[in-house]
Amino acid sequence: MKPEISLDFEFRSSVEKVWHALTDSTMLAKWVMDNNFKPIVGHKFQFHTEPTKHWNGIVDSEVLVVEEPYRLSYTWVTAGENTIVTWSLKRMDNVTHLHLEHTGFQSESLSYNGAKYGWVNMATQLEKLLRDQKN
Amino acid sequence: MNKKSETRDVYTAVADPTRRKLLQLLAEADELPLHKLTAQFQMGRTAVSKHLAILKDADLVKERKAGRETRFRLNAEPLKEIEDWVSYYTKFWNERAELLRRLLEEEQNET
Repeated sequence: MKPEISLDFEFRSSVEKVWHALTDSTMLAKWVMDNNFKPIVGHKFQFHTEPTKHWNGIVDSEVLVVEEPYRLSYTWVTAGENTIVTWSLKRMDNVTHLHLEHTGFQSESLSYNGAKYGWVNMATQLEKLLRDQKN
Repeated sequence: MNKKSETRDVYTAVADPTRRKLLQLLAEADELPLHKLTAQFQMGRTAVSKHLAILKDADLVKERKAGRETRFRLNAEPLKEIEDWVSYYTKFWNERAELLRRLLEEEQNET
Protein backbone atom coordinates (compact mmCIF):
# COMPACT_ATOMS: atom_id res chain seq x y z
CA MET A 1 0.00 0.00 0.00
CA LYS A 2 1.28 3.42 -0.88
CA PRO A 3 1.72 5.65 2.13
CA GLU A 4 -0.57 8.63 1.89
CA ILE A 5 -1.41 11.16 4.48
CA SER A 6 -4.97 12.42 4.69
CA LEU A 7 -5.87 14.64 7.64
CA ASP A 8 -8.82 16.85 8.58
CA PHE A 9 -8.75 19.91 10.77
CA GLU A 10 -11.47 22.30 11.89
CA PHE A 11 -11.17 25.96 12.75
CA ARG A 12 -13.61 28.57 13.94
CA SER A 13 -11.91 31.27 11.86
CA SER A 14 -13.35 32.12 8.45
CA VAL A 15 -12.20 30.37 5.28
CA GLU A 16 -10.48 33.63 4.28
CA LYS A 17 -8.49 33.79 7.52
CA VAL A 18 -7.37 30.18 7.19
CA TRP A 19 -6.49 30.75 3.54
CA HIS A 20 -4.41 33.74 4.57
CA ALA A 21 -2.51 31.57 7.09
CA LEU A 22 -1.87 29.01 4.33
CA THR A 23 -0.68 31.49 1.73
CA ASP A 24 1.00 34.38 3.53
CA SER A 25 4.74 33.78 3.82
CA THR A 26 5.03 35.44 7.24
CA MET A 27 2.08 33.46 8.60
CA LEU A 28 3.42 30.20 7.10
CA ALA A 29 6.74 30.81 8.84
CA LYS A 30 4.89 30.91 12.16
CA TRP A 31 3.31 27.47 11.82
CA VAL A 32 5.13 25.51 9.09
CA MET A 33 8.68 26.68 8.45
CA ASP A 34 10.61 29.65 7.18
CA ASN A 35 9.90 30.02 3.48
CA ASN A 36 9.76 32.25 0.42
CA PHE A 37 6.29 31.16 -0.65
CA LYS A 38 4.10 33.19 -2.99
CA PRO A 39 0.58 32.14 -3.99
CA ILE A 40 1.43 32.12 -7.71
CA VAL A 41 1.18 28.97 -9.83
CA GLY A 42 4.66 27.98 -11.00
CA HIS A 43 6.45 29.89 -8.22
CA LYS A 44 9.42 27.89 -6.95
CA PHE A 45 10.24 28.22 -3.28
CA GLN A 46 11.77 26.51 -0.27
CA PHE A 47 10.73 25.67 3.23
CA HIS A 48 13.71 25.43 5.48
CA THR A 49 14.44 24.61 9.08
CA GLU A 50 17.27 23.36 11.27
CA PRO A 51 18.96 20.31 9.74
CA THR A 52 18.93 17.05 11.70
CA LYS A 53 21.12 13.96 11.62
CA HIS A 54 18.94 12.39 8.93
CA TRP A 55 17.67 15.43 7.07
CA ASN A 56 19.15 18.63 5.63
CA GLY A 57 16.10 20.66 6.69
CA ILE A 58 15.28 21.87 3.19
CA VAL A 59 12.06 21.27 1.27
CA ASP A 60 12.01 22.29 -2.40
CA SER A 61 8.59 23.26 -3.64
CA GLU A 62 6.69 24.59 -6.61
CA VAL A 63 3.17 25.97 -6.47
CA LEU A 64 0.80 23.79 -8.50
CA VAL A 65 -2.72 25.05 -7.71
CA VAL A 66 -4.03 28.32 -6.30
CA GLU A 67 -7.84 28.48 -6.19
CA GLU A 68 -8.47 31.19 -3.64
CA PRO A 69 -9.77 30.46 -1.05
CA TYR A 70 -10.62 26.81 -1.57
CA ARG A 71 -7.66 24.89 -2.88
CA LEU A 72 -3.89 25.14 -2.68
CA SER A 73 -1.32 22.61 -3.83
CA TYR A 74 2.45 22.52 -4.04
CA THR A 75 5.20 19.97 -4.50
CA TRP A 76 7.17 18.89 -1.44
CA VAL A 77 10.53 17.53 -2.50
CA THR A 78 12.89 16.50 0.27
CA ALA A 79 15.10 13.62 1.38
CA GLY A 80 14.80 11.99 -2.04
CA GLU A 81 11.00 11.86 -1.93
CA ASN A 82 9.04 13.83 -4.51
CA THR A 83 5.63 14.38 -2.93
CA ILE A 84 2.63 16.71 -3.19
CA VAL A 85 0.83 18.64 -0.48
CA THR A 86 -2.75 19.71 -1.17
CA TRP A 87 -4.95 21.81 1.08
CA SER A 88 -8.73 22.05 0.60
CA LEU A 89 -10.95 24.40 2.55
CA LYS A 90 -14.70 24.63 3.00
CA ARG A 91 -17.10 26.35 5.34
CA MET A 92 -19.80 24.18 6.86
CA ASP A 93 -21.96 24.61 9.98
CA ASN A 94 -20.07 27.72 11.01
CA VAL A 95 -16.77 25.87 10.96
CA THR A 96 -13.92 26.00 8.48
CA HIS A 97 -12.91 22.50 7.42
CA LEU A 98 -9.33 22.15 6.31
CA HIS A 99 -8.39 18.94 4.55
CA LEU A 100 -4.77 17.97 3.92
CA GLU A 101 -3.50 15.37 1.51
CA HIS A 102 0.18 14.59 1.37
CA THR A 103 0.71 12.08 -1.44
CA GLY A 104 3.22 10.67 -3.89
CA PHE A 105 5.50 8.68 -1.57
CA GLN A 106 7.30 6.02 -3.57
CA SER A 107 6.71 2.96 -1.44
CA GLU A 108 7.41 0.48 -4.22
CA SER A 109 10.70 1.97 -5.25
CA LEU A 110 13.79 0.25 -3.96
CA SER A 111 15.51 3.56 -3.46
CA TYR A 112 16.95 4.50 -0.12
CA ASN A 113 13.83 6.34 0.95
CA GLY A 114 11.45 3.92 -0.68
CA ALA A 115 12.93 1.17 1.43
CA LYS A 116 12.32 3.17 4.57
CA TYR A 117 8.65 3.39 3.78
CA GLY A 118 8.36 -0.20 2.68
CA TRP A 119 9.63 -1.68 5.88
CA VAL A 120 7.56 0.22 8.33
CA ASN A 121 5.16 -2.64 8.95
CA MET A 122 7.96 -4.98 9.80
CA ALA A 123 9.50 -2.49 12.19
CA THR A 124 6.18 -1.78 13.84
CA GLN A 125 5.38 -5.47 14.19
CA LEU A 126 8.73 -6.18 15.77
CA GLU A 127 8.39 -3.36 18.20
CA LYS A 128 4.93 -4.52 19.16
CA LEU A 129 6.21 -8.04 19.65
CA LEU A 130 8.94 -6.73 21.95
CA ARG A 131 6.52 -4.58 23.93
CA ASP A 132 4.16 -7.53 24.39
CA GLN A 133 7.00 -9.66 25.70
CA LYS A 134 8.15 -7.07 28.19
CA ASN A 135 4.69 -6.90 29.75
CA MET B 1 26.30 8.56 -0.47
CA ASN B 2 29.11 6.03 -0.33
CA LYS B 3 28.48 2.32 -0.66
CA LYS B 4 30.16 1.33 2.55
CA SER B 5 27.96 3.39 4.84
CA GLU B 6 24.95 2.27 2.83
CA THR B 7 25.56 -1.39 3.65
CA ARG B 8 25.57 -0.58 7.35
CA ASP B 9 22.35 1.27 7.05
CA VAL B 10 19.39 0.02 9.06
CA TYR B 11 17.15 0.23 5.97
CA THR B 12 19.48 -1.91 3.90
CA ALA B 13 19.80 -4.31 6.81
CA VAL B 14 16.08 -4.99 6.95
CA ALA B 15 15.62 -5.04 3.17
CA ASP B 16 16.52 -8.73 2.99
CA PRO B 17 14.09 -11.57 3.84
CA THR B 18 16.71 -13.71 5.60
CA ARG B 19 17.71 -10.85 7.85
CA ARG B 20 14.10 -10.00 8.55
CA LYS B 21 13.51 -13.60 9.57
CA LEU B 22 16.59 -13.45 11.81
CA LEU B 23 15.23 -10.33 13.47
CA GLN B 24 11.88 -11.99 13.96
CA LEU B 25 13.46 -15.10 15.50
CA LEU B 26 15.49 -12.93 17.84
CA ALA B 27 12.44 -10.87 18.70
CA GLU B 28 10.66 -14.03 19.84
CA ALA B 29 13.53 -15.21 22.05
CA ASP B 30 15.66 -13.38 24.60
CA GLU B 31 18.85 -14.51 22.95
CA LEU B 32 19.92 -17.34 20.67
CA PRO B 33 23.20 -19.01 19.75
CA LEU B 34 24.19 -19.35 16.10
CA HIS B 35 23.31 -23.05 15.77
CA LYS B 36 19.74 -22.43 16.89
CA LEU B 37 19.42 -19.66 14.35
CA THR B 38 21.05 -21.69 11.59
CA ALA B 39 18.61 -24.56 12.22
CA GLN B 40 15.81 -22.31 10.96
CA PHE B 41 17.36 -21.80 7.52
CA GLN B 42 18.29 -23.84 4.47
CA MET B 43 21.68 -22.12 4.32
CA GLY B 44 24.79 -22.95 6.32
CA ARG B 45 26.20 -21.23 9.39
CA THR B 46 28.68 -19.16 7.40
CA ALA B 47 25.91 -17.60 5.35
CA VAL B 48 23.81 -16.96 8.46
CA SER B 49 26.87 -15.43 10.16
CA LYS B 50 27.29 -13.01 7.27
CA HIS B 51 23.71 -11.85 7.63
CA LEU B 52 24.18 -11.49 11.38
CA ALA B 53 27.30 -9.39 10.75
CA ILE B 54 25.27 -6.97 8.60
CA LEU B 55 22.63 -6.76 11.31
CA LYS B 56 25.36 -6.11 13.87
CA ASP B 57 26.80 -3.34 11.70
CA ALA B 58 23.38 -1.73 11.64
CA ASP B 59 23.27 -2.15 15.45
CA LEU B 60 20.13 -4.26 15.14
CA VAL B 61 21.78 -7.26 16.75
CA LYS B 62 24.07 -7.49 19.77
CA GLU B 63 26.22 -10.46 20.66
CA ARG B 64 27.79 -11.73 23.83
CA LYS B 65 30.01 -14.64 24.71
CA ALA B 66 28.52 -17.24 27.03
CA GLY B 67 31.20 -19.84 27.63
CA ARG B 68 32.15 -21.19 24.23
CA GLU B 69 28.99 -19.94 22.63
CA THR B 70 28.23 -16.58 21.08
CA ARG B 71 24.66 -15.56 21.75
CA PHE B 72 22.74 -13.03 19.73
CA ARG B 73 19.93 -10.77 20.75
CA LEU B 74 17.84 -8.13 19.07
CA ASN B 75 18.41 -4.44 19.62
CA ALA B 76 15.18 -2.83 18.38
CA GLU B 77 16.26 0.77 19.00
CA PRO B 78 17.35 1.54 15.38
CA LEU B 79 13.97 0.31 14.11
CA LYS B 80 12.38 3.34 15.73
CA GLU B 81 14.21 5.46 13.21
CA ILE B 82 12.23 3.78 10.45
CA GLU B 83 8.94 4.15 12.20
CA ASP B 84 9.69 7.76 13.03
CA TRP B 85 10.40 8.52 9.42
CA VAL B 86 7.15 7.00 8.19
CA SER B 87 4.90 8.46 10.84
CA TYR B 88 6.94 11.63 10.63
CA TYR B 89 4.57 13.60 8.42
CA THR B 90 1.40 12.61 10.24
CA LYS B 91 2.99 13.82 13.44
CA PHE B 92 4.51 16.81 11.66
CA TRP B 93 1.23 18.05 10.14
CA ASN B 94 -0.78 17.42 13.29
CA GLU B 95 1.70 19.48 15.28
CA ARG B 96 1.77 22.22 12.65
CA ALA B 97 -2.04 22.34 12.51
CA GLU B 98 -2.07 22.78 16.27
CA LEU B 99 0.26 25.77 15.87
CA LEU B 100 -2.05 27.09 13.18
CA ARG B 101 -5.05 26.72 15.49
CA ARG B 102 -3.31 28.77 18.18
CA LEU B 103 -2.28 31.36 15.64
CA LEU B 104 -5.84 31.72 14.38
CA GLU B 105 -7.23 31.90 17.90
CA GLU B 106 -4.82 34.70 18.79
CA GLU B 107 -5.93 36.51 15.67
CA GLN B 108 -9.58 35.98 16.61
CA ASN B 109 -9.01 37.44 20.07
CA GLU B 110 -7.24 40.51 18.71
CA THR B 111 -10.15 41.50 16.49
